[in-house]
Amino acid sequence: MKTTARIAVIILAGLVWAVPAASQDKAGLLEKQNSLKSEYSLAKDSAFYFVLDILGRKLELRVRGMVLRSWEFQSMRFWGRPEFSGNVELVRKTALKAPKRIVIKPGGEDEKIEAAPAPEANASGTGATPGAPQEFELEALELKDMPKKFSLDFDNGLHIKVKTAASGGLLGSMREAWRWYVDLPLRNLFGPHTGAGLSELELTFDNDKDGQSIYWHLFEGIKGIIL
Amino acid sequence: MFVKRLLIAAALAYLGFLAVLGAAHLIGLKQASAWPPAGRAIAAKDLPKIENNVQQLEKRMSGLPPKGLYIVIDTAENRLFVKNGKEVVRTAVVSCGSGVVLEESGGRQRKWVFDTPRGEFSVKSKITNPYWVKPDWVFIEEGESIPKEVEERIEGGTLGDYALGFGQGYFIHGTLYTRLLGRNVTHGCVRVGDEDLKAIFNAVPIGAKIYIY
Repeated sequence: MKTTARIAVIILAGLVWAVPAASQDKAGLLEKQNSLKSEYSLAKDSAFYFVLDILGRKLELRVRGMVLRSWEFQSMRFWGRPEFSGNVELVRKTALKAPKRIVIKPGGEDEKIEAAPAPEANASGTGATPGAPQEFELEALELKDMPKKFSLDFDNGLHIKVKTAASGGLLGSMREAWRWYVDLPLRNLFGPHTGAGLSELELTFDNDKDGQSIYWHLFEGIKGIIL
Repeated sequence: MFVKRLLIAAALAYLGFLAVLGAAHLIGLKQASAWPPAGRAIAAKDLPKIENNVQQLEKRMSGLPPKGLYIVIDTAENRLFVKNGKEVVRTAVVSCGSGVVLEESGGRQRKWVFDTPRGEFSVKSKITNPYWVKPDWVFIEEGESIPKEVEERIEGGTLGDYALGFGQGYFIHGTLYTRLLGRNVTHGCVRVGDEDLKAIFNAVPIGAKIYIY
């Protein structure tokens, strides 16, 4: 009798555990279908695209379904409308200290500097030792010249602020705190009445180089998926 | 009396501001709790169709990456990878475009941007002992007059022992300036050290894909 009761309890427990798991699997399958559909629509062309996986905490640059570069973010926070996932296009990249291109005009006026436009997108057995290039100033636009803190605006109204853990001093932190805890909540509260619904995501990356390389690789017009 | 009233008004304004801010935070929390959106329920009869769709899409996705060896170039880190599927077969330190803009002051007032082009390309040609046919910008940059004869533009030895062309006059080639490998110094081509260049040249066939990002 005792054995029968034990078996019944085990079966019941199994059912209680299995039913939600099965429905979760079904929902997961639908999500998988949708994300695959979204990605295939981008990957079938030769253009680069990005995938921002919020829950997976990573941003990836991809082409033809292959991951070219992956950046993991340390933390994220959000204000406003949460309906930002799906296919998007980067419409504007802004930075306080945008990189400048060096302009050479031989025989003309002196060398001048102009704002850099967004770039267009159209192991074993190493011969050299990676990571030890000569360090000296060059007349060039390099990764180290890219900003560590910048904003990305997408066609669905989403505004992403990218920063690195080390960026900003005391004044910067105070300005950030004001923006995050006072300015954004109030804009979020009154924005819908003025027709400017807010959707702001802030991603913090571990090191400066991550932020700089994201600025380098994500160009205006790049399409992507936010999961 | 006036000061007292002023203080009361200021205190009330401050409390009002705090109340509005509190409300704003509560609304923000409510919005945030709606994320991530709950999954949609699926009818049992739709399940096989969705499973089939997922399989089809996975199959299509798996057919997209190039077959065999291909090259991936990171212009920010100045790295070149020869890959086969997900496996990295070889890594090389390279030099990519400097991003400098050259403007012609007289004549046709042309402008060149020395970026390594980004996108998907393929190896269009493989040349041993390549000669460099100097384009106009070389002479403009040096402040020299542009020669009329082609022979005056030809220079040997500058591009190393091998060159792989990937279109529009861009090449993966050798360099005399090996101490600049790892920096963005070129006029758009990709410079590689001798040993790596030889290995890449021998391994990668014409038609192999090149992804520059």
